[in-house]
Amino acid sequence: MMINSLKLFIFTLILVSFTGCKSTLTVKGQFPTPVVNKLPYTLGVIYDSDFKDYEYTEKDTKRDKWEIEVGEAQLKLFNTVLPAMFTDVVSVPDINNKENSSIDIFFKPRVDELQYNVPAETKLNMFEVWIKYNMKVYDNKGLLLADWILTAYGKTPTAFMQSQESALNEAMVIALRDAGAGLTLKFSHIPEINNWLKKHANK
Amino acid sequence: MMIKLSYKCVFCLIFILVLLTGCTTVTIEEVQHSATELVEGESIVVIGRRTSSDYETEPELISCIGKILSKGENQLNVIPEQTFVDNLYPWFEPRTAPLRVRDLQRLLTYDAVSQKFSDFNVHYIIWVDGNTETTRSSGSITCSLGGGGLGCFGFGTWDKKAEYEASIWDYKKKKLIGKISSEADGTSYMPAVVIPIPIIAQVQADACKGMAVQLKHFFNNTQG
Repeated sequence: MMINSLKLFIFTLILVSFTGCKSTLTVKGQFPTPVVNKLPYTLGVIYDSDFKDYEYTEKDTKRDKWEIEVGEAQLKLFNTVLPAMFTDVVSVPDINNKENSSIDIFFKPRVDELQYNVPAETKLNMFEVWIKYNMKVYDNKGLLLADWILTAYGKTPTAFMQSQESALNEAMVIALRDAGAGLTLKFSHIPEINNWLKKHANK
Repeated sequence: MMIKLSYKCVFCLIFILVLLTGCTTVTIEEVQHSATELVEGESIVVIGRRTSSDYETEPELISCIGKILSKGENQLNVIPEQTFVDNLYPWFEPRTAPLRVRDLQRLLTYDAVSQKFSDFNVHYIIWVDGNTETTRSSGSITCSLGGGGLGCFGFGTWDKKAEYEASIWDYKKKKLIGKISSEADGTSYMPAVVIPIPIIAQVQADACKGMAVQLKHFFNNTQG
């Protein structure tokens, strides 16, 4: 009886110690509409489930266990940014979509990598986030037009009485804003896209 | 050892804690290249520079300067940083913001950006760069929980240094019209005999006050 109670106590202690080490963050933020000139085209955007539900899980056993859910926030960002860049944006399941023949180009974003640093790991009192996106643009026939990497960076200093979750969320939102800024300002300057825009300038 | 404090004592202790603040030395320097011409209805905006990789100009410092500028005597019409940055997204993000006055010209080739500036009626843009950091800390405080209650004993001290520089851009003339720097040093103490008593030097707040007062003087000084 005594041994059973002791086993139960140890088991409970292990459970408590396991759950106590894990931090979960669902990134939440507001993203402003970009002030840019609209391109006179219809964009078909493809968000696959990996992108929509993107979640980072820390696998390094030496680091704190973090689970960062970014999918919802990045979807919110892209759904704010893209309609400001194009006259019309439609969400489609894939590039073979034939339902909407007015689509001029297709756009498919993907998260390649996400990295973060917390102040305990660096000498700086800073939470830092890097997101590496792979952006692909296809023409209306489904041929790949451009494929480029967009890196986004966000940092936020530690503040008195601020939780780790809140500070990391802030750094994530800054990184997502940086991704939105990079996309809006660089899109037309990607050489292949720039060539396509020149060819289709009379639309 | 269990210490029982009456409400009077607790009130006195809180009062003493509020009064006890560490000393801060603030140094302000100003360079003004030309006179300011802020007319009624025109606005200024105070923005933090966030391009450095190893520090970040604190948003609370920027809002502190903005609050002081928009209150009291000679108050100015200040656009909150976040409102301005959001309305001009993505042109004033950490990695896209103009670094030199002449970079503003590039932004203004976009009609929508130019229109936003007109809507805000911005005349001056103040860029604040810098941060507050702990430069030294020493001492130790030990707290223990015993049968008689919780008690702490020891002494801790730390130094903080705030260094900020404001660059004032005249949006209408596309010129840098002056710079103000604010440096503050202060030492905080925390003696603990049963209860830790923090004597905090308000380094960042004092650097903010110094900077804001000087900026008010800058905008009310028409001598140039």
